Amino acid sequence: MHFKVRAAAKEDCKDISRMIMELAVYENMADQVKTSHEDLERDGFSPNPFYECLIAEVPDEHKTKDGYTVVGYALYFYTYSTWKGRSVYMEDLYVMPDFRGKGIGTGLMAKVAQVGVEKQCVRLQLSVLEWNKPSLDFYIAKGAEDLTAKEGWHFLRFHGQTLDTLAKEAPKD
Amino acid sequence: MDRFKLRKAEPKDVPDILRLIKELAKYEDMEDQVILTEKDLLEDGFGDHPFYHCIVAEVPSEKQSNNAPVVIGFAMYYFTYDPWIGKLLYLEDFFVMEEYRGFGIGSEILKLLSHTAVKTRCSSMHFIVAEGNQASIEFYKRRGAADLSLEEGWRLFKIDKSSLLKMSSGPEE
Repeated sequence: MHFKVRAAAKEDCKDISRMIMELAVYENMADQVKTSHEDLERDGFSPNPFYECLIAEVPDEHKTKDGYTVVGYALYFYTYSTWKGRSVYMEDLYVMPDFRGKGIGTGLMAKVAQVGVEKQCVRLQLSVLEWNKPSLDFYIAKGAEDLTAKEGWHFLRFHGQTLDTLAKEAPKD
Repeated sequence: MDRFKLRKAEPKDVPDILRLIKELAKYEDMEDQVILTEKDLLEDGFGDHPFYHCIVAEVPSEKQSNNAPVVIGFAMYYFTYDPWIGKLLYLEDFFVMEEYRGFGIGSEILKLLSHTAVKTRCSSMHFIVAEGNQASIEFYKRRGAADLSLEEGWRLFKIDKSSLLKMSSGPEE
């Protein structure tokens, strides 16, 4: 099946929002999605964007039963390693279930890799849930190394109330 | 240690930031892994497209004897994006020189970072810690941090430049 990977435009945010919700519904976490397509527009398409996005689209004759031609996306941003410099972090990679197995996921990820290399990034990072075997296999086949297993890295976060509590005690300007 | 000041890093701080990056790497036995130069840090932090932001901790120079440095700690962060909740603050590096620890400087830096996160509309502050670094894990957990690798099963992966090049030069669809 022929498909095209291109940089998302502001008008694509409704489709991106739709697919974000599809992925969340699939993971039984739809109530956790707080962003709207307006948030995505503001955060991705202002003078200081917080993410970049690529979308995969298929020709009209292959559109979904609801009439969509945008069938996948990869959302990423730039990060920084104090040892090695510029990196790219791929936050989301999603292809609608009926369009999997056709190289679209690989195509999206290859484009993220290309963008990263053009921006002189030394590596791409991503995270996967340990039970998600299909995704783990997909990334490992492309050369991904599990740094949590290999080097013991754990993700930590301060969220919601714990963040607010810390913030209230910050030194005055 | 009653007088220290936290402020935004400026281009003139780049030599000190690199010095502290190398000290932190040395502490982790990985000093030879730091390939970043002052030129990289200057371009990547203070150029047209900043890849990071930095806070430095300094002590007044009249309190220093001989050639002891004035900048004695730093924290490097940048903004990332979660498609479900929006902007996040990501803490990349956080270090206070050994002889200045135990005076609350690290705590104050963390509070300032949290305040920055809340002020810039971030719902969460994320970072990674190596599971062998018990002192750091305790420091963060005491202040309310949650370990997402343990609690939710997230694993961090990386894909190095050679694999990125291979991916990005794959067959066109």
